[in-house]
Amino acid sequence: MMPKIPLATLSENEEAVIVELWGGRGLVRRLSEMGFTYGTKIKMLHSSCPGPVLVSVRGSRIALGRGVAMKIIVNPEGGSWQ
Amino acid sequence: MSEKTKELLGEEPEVVFAEKRYAFISEILPKVLKGKRPLTRSDLLDKALLNKYLGIPVFLALWWALFRFTFDVSGPLSDLIDMSFGSLGEVVGGAIANEQLASFLADGVIGGLGGVLVFLPPIFFLFFGLSILEDSGYLARAAFVVDRVLYKLGLHGKSFIPMLIGFGCNIPGIMAARTIDKEEDRILTILVNPLMSCSARLPVYVLIGGAVLGGYAVTGTFSMYILGVVLAVLMALLFRRVIPYFKGKPSPFILELPMYSTPTLRSSLTHMWERGVLFLKKAGTIILAGIIVVWFLSSYPWGAPLEETYLAMLGHIIEPIFRPLGFDWRGAVGLFFGFIAKEIVVGSFAVIFGLGEEAEMESIQQTIANQGIFTPVTGLAFMAFTLLYIPCIATIGVIYRETNSWKWTIFSVAYGLILAYVVAFAIVGIGGLLGFA
Amino acid sequence: MAIRVAVIGNPNVGKTLIFNNLTGGRAHVGNWPGKTVEKKEGKCTHKGAEMRIIDLPGTYSLTANSIDELIARDFIVKEKPDVVIDIVDASNLERNLYLTMQLMELEANMVIALNKCDIANDLEYEIDINGLSELLGIPVIPTVATTKEGMKELEDAVLKAAREKGKKRMVKISYGKQLDELISKIEKVLQKDEELSMKYPTRWLAIKLLERDKEALEIMDKSSCKHEVVNQLLGTVG
Repeated sequence: MMPKIPLATLSENEEAVIVELWGGRGLVRRLSEMGFTYGTKIKMLHSSCPGPVLVSVRGSRIALGRGVAMKIIVNPEGGSWQ
Repeated sequence: MSEKTKELLGEEPEVVFAEKRYAFISEILPKVLKGKRPLTRSDLLDKALLNKYLGIPVFLALWWALFRFTFDVSGPLSDLIDMSFGSLGEVVGGAIANEQLASFLADGVIGGLGGVLVFLPPIFFLFFGLSILEDSGYLARAAFVVDRVLYKLGLHGKSFIPMLIGFGCNIPGIMAARTIDKEEDRILTILVNPLMSCSARLPVYVLIGGAVLGGYAVTGTFSMYILGVVLAVLMALLFRRVIPYFKGKPSPFILELPMYSTPTLRSSLTHMWERGVLFLKKAGTIILAGIIVVWFLSSYPWGAPLEETYLAMLGHIIEPIFRPLGFDWRGAVGLFFGFIAKEIVVGSFAVIFGLGEEAEMESIQQTIANQGIFTPVTGLAFMAFTLLYIPCIATIGVIYRETNSWKWTIFSVAYGLILAYVVAFAIVGIGGLLGFA
Repeated sequence: MAIRVAVIGNPNVGKTLIFNNLTGGRAHVGNWPGKTVEKKEGKCTHKGAEMRIIDLPGTYSLTANSIDELIARDFIVKEKPDVVIDIVDASNLERNLYLTMQLMELEANMVIALNKCDIANDLEYEIDINGLSELLGIPVIPTVATTKEGMKELEDAVLKAAREKGKKRMVKISYGKQLDELISKIEKVLQKDEELSMKYPTRWLAIKLLERDKEALEIMDKSSCKHEVVNQLLGTVG
């Protein structure tokens, strides 16, 4: 069973892999196009809980509102992940 | 057909294609790109600027600095322009025999041009400062920091930057709404922007507040700013709920933070110039036209004393509308002038009270107090009215330009007037109930 | 006859600066018809050839998520500019190439301006420009807009691309065997509608249909081969 948590709950400097995208078609499409696709590595750079988060994905730094960050579901890298 | 596609592809089609495109990129990339991104100064700077505790103070400090810079530096320049055009007007006026023509040229045209150009220094400096903030990459961080606060109100960071600019001048504020992707959010931000108390309204607060609020003048002025912000938030929430066009959630906050970079003088000047010239063309022509209209109304019938000019007649005609609020025809005329441009309100009061245009603020205040033109309550109501109804004709021009729609432009003027009236009335009403005359 | 050149790229890539470099800072500013988005147009003369440069809104993709994307996409599809300059941020290559992919699908006549090479250098990135150009089938010109480096070469490349407009050297993106086959099948059907194939690149249309793009669906609705397309899809299930 793969652990699945919302991106918003990652701590700073934690890395994870995207496994699910919730939300309406528009949001999901927009996120995919910005690089948030399944299997993509993502790193939490800055979390101002509650509030927006700053993540690193595909080499760019993207700020996401809390609502959006709760809809990106990730599998945090536990160390055993290559 | 849609369903079949989904079945075929196994998941949402949009996502599949996005994935495939990135897959293709991932194939190419290792062959042409080497190197991993190191920790940069940008990253370190962000650690500080986006910090939970530092973020907002830094943000407020920078904004304060921006406004100080704009108004301190541009102030003397504006005064210079004011004086030059004043002198030019005198010279031209003196040189022409025909009295009416002289007045038209001197007070109308030259006065009008001066009235427009006097805006240029603050607008240019404000745009310059904003360009620097934008090009440096800080503006995106500002949106991030502010989003944390606005998230709870159902608004988001990108809509607040235009609001903040609006405190300086609503025109660049409204233009700044361009950064917002969704048209509905953009228009909503534009509609609410005039409620941000622009700097031109301040002299009016100072004049009236100083005249009738005594020790509470500063509090009264400050409360206008707060009132503006509160109403802006309420109106935004109201419009979202009530107007079908705005129904639906605000667009999700997704914003790329570019790397910090040193803004070049060239690009900042270019931005400043582009936007400044735009303002000049759009707003400038309207203000000039407006001032000429005012000149006409206040000069004719030719030779008549102020109380018998068309302007006064106009004031008397619209006075009944404002009587419930406690404003007499002179207040009404002040509001009319304010409709053209808030910057000319103080001067116009000087003229209406017969003190001459160059009168000092104090003497105007004394006249108001002595003649009881405004009471503390009606004075406050007047300040609120000034805050809430359309900032100036130039703003209307810009709103039209940015929304490309008469519908929204008229709506913004209308709701502003209604809101102003309702709030002013409420102030007078509550004041009466609480026992203030 | 002036060469019509569209300039496009992600936000923050330095598009405004490059546009200004090309047009000498003199641009006509207006609005896109019926929209609130700013439209900038300027002129550039290079080696005797006159170019009309149109600044398209900065956008991450061309999927009509927002007005900016709609405007950019509409312009390329309907106005069919002679050359499209895709400005790519060298310090942010991966994500920037996404737009490039979409432009390739649109079969635009492209030249890539690889901007911010200086920053990429500072970040210790090494980019094989020739390799990139070969893999995409598109000329890639390194530029540093802030110092105007590469501008002449960019203008040269644009002129060359305009001359060689007919030649299709651009690489076709592969979406995996299953999808590629499906796209081909739909493309063949679409090509039967001559009017359609003249107006829109058929491969692009096929992809957009599969993506359930609203505009593409509307276009197909009016087309004669509508039913065949649907049948193609139904036939392939299973």
